[in-house]
Amino acid sequence: MALFPITSNFEGDFVLKLVPVDDENTMAEVAEAAAVHSINLHVAEQPGKIIRARRAGESEPFPLEVKLKDSGLMPTECVDFYYE
Amino acid sequence: MALLDRSEWYDIARATQWTFQYVPEEEIFPEGHSGSEGISNEVWSTYDEPYKVTYREYVDVQRQKDSGVYSVKAALDRLDMYAKADPGWISILKLHYGAVSTVEYAAALQESRYVRWSKAPGMRNMATFGMLDEIRHAQAQLFFAHEYVSKDRQFDWSHESMKTQNWGVLAARHFFDDMLMSRDATSTAIMANFAFETGFTNLQFIGLASDASNAGDFTFAKLIQSIQSDEARHAQLGTPLLQILIENGQKDRAQRLIDIALWRSWKIFTILTGIPMDYYVPLEHRESSFKEFMEEWIIDQFARSLNELGLDKPWYWDILIRDLSEHHHGQQLGTWSWRPTLWWSPAAGVSPEERDWLEEKYPGWNKTFGKCWDVLTENLKNGHVEKTIPGTLPVICNMSNLPIVGTPFTHLKDHPWEYGGRLYHFGSEVDRWIFQQDPERYSQHKSLIDRFLSGDIEPADLGGVLAYMGIGVLSEGGGDAHDYSWVDKYRSIEAKVS
Repeated sequence: MALFPITSNFEGDFVLKLVPVDDENTMAEVAEAAAVHSINLHVAEQPGKIIRARRAGESEPFPLEVKLKDSGLMPTECVDFYYE
Repeated sequence: MALLDRSEWYDIARATQWTFQYVPEEEIFPEGHSGSEGISNEVWSTYDEPYKVTYREYVDVQRQKDSGVYSVKAALDRLDMYAKADPGWISILKLHYGAVSTVEYAAALQESRYVRWSKAPGMRNMATFGMLDEIRHAQAQLFFAHEYVSKDRQFDWSHESMKTQNWGVLAARHFFDDMLMSRDATSTAIMANFAFETGFTNLQFIGLASDASNAGDFTFAKLIQSIQSDEARHAQLGTPLLQILIENGQKDRAQRLIDIALWRSWKIFTILTGIPMDYYVPLEHRESSFKEFMEEWIIDQFARSLNELGLDKPWYWDILIRDLSEHHHGQQLGTWSWRPTLWWSPAAGVSPEERDWLEEKYPGWNKTFGKCWDVLTENLKNGHVEKTIPGTLPVICNMSNLPIVGTPFTHLKDHPWEYGGRLYHFGSEVDRWIFQQDPERYSQHKSLIDRFLSGDIEPADLGGVLAYMGIGVLSEGGGDAHDYSWVDKYRSIEAKVS
């Protein structure tokens, strides 16, 4: 259990946001944490869709069950979040 | 006794290129301070300032300028512009005075370093007047702002801002320390007098003066026009310096300094001028859009100056052109959203008519930035102000020290770079390029986010961050300038439709 801040680039948002999460969190949980700071604040909700996460600039998302500590991401590294 | 004509004695008085006998020249003009780059004294003595003035003439003209400004203020105080002004205009005054007043004192130190360290006698002479200019600017702006402190404590930031760790101040200090305060006299004059002053002070002091007159604030208009009349003179310090450098094989050095200063100036002016012009100035009083002013003063005029000197446009010119339509809209969304962190109350500037104006001036605004405002407006319509304030911090650029913003759906991305085991974040490839020019110069600085994550800010929550930034200490933070009254227009439209 350790604090693991990431940089969130949420599709439709205008600014990169700091999202403090835990290295034991799965990518599904990380996406949920990122959504709290964008959805219904600066980005419209899209009911029925799920949020995926991928390393900034890459095309393939992380599997939802992968833990942050196993993702290969560095603390504060930028993650793209988008509706699928 | 009859006075000699100026032309009969001026050149003798300014030619202070003495031959030193008791101290080595290197000790009098250390290279790190003068930046003379091996150019000989004979060459430096050819520096020919385009604007010549004697001390007697200078004092006479400056006295007249001060008389004009202070008498206009005294006359118009009776009209109580403050009580009648739109709240968006009051926010412009708070932002301007807090960001500019004491930086003028820093600029006096900047000019004083030319007086002492420049190897060009003509430049030393002219910089003496430039130094006095900047002292006048600081004193006038502090005096004018002080008048308002009794009306609203947020005006206290005019004097105190630069002593705080507010995020906007961190950005301004990083920029001004880099450009005004910590380089040799030659480099500083190119960056500050040529790139910054000939380019960008026009935006703030001429562009905003038009808006001020239109808005009925003739005191502020007169003040900043008076300041600009000095800027227009001492900004010319840099041009003959550039000519000497270019003629003596230093073109690449000059170009690099201009490229750095122009981009850094652009970024800070998106906050200082861009946001007020396009969002705070009441719609009926807007002279031009920020983009239109930028196109006139920077894209056309500054580019022409570069061309006349034989210099090139910065390598990132296409990125800058694109940014004119985008960057400050992101910073507006950011400053308004994180309004509790400001020393002024930002105007949203997104009523239905204002959105029409934005779409006309910036086609595509509604489909990008407008989408974020749609969500914010919906929350306000439903009475949920608390849902319009973020619960976390924005990620900050390690060069501009501004939030990393971009156009929704198209241009928002981090530009990271790992250096010395630390991951740095940048808002653009230009910001990253500037860092890469001299990583040791910049690498030790901590952005607000770096400070938050490394435990410098306690308690490590939003309350702790606000107190760290001086909010609730010097004054309360910002709210919506119009107390959300603009949202009623959307409610009216909705009521009519239903």
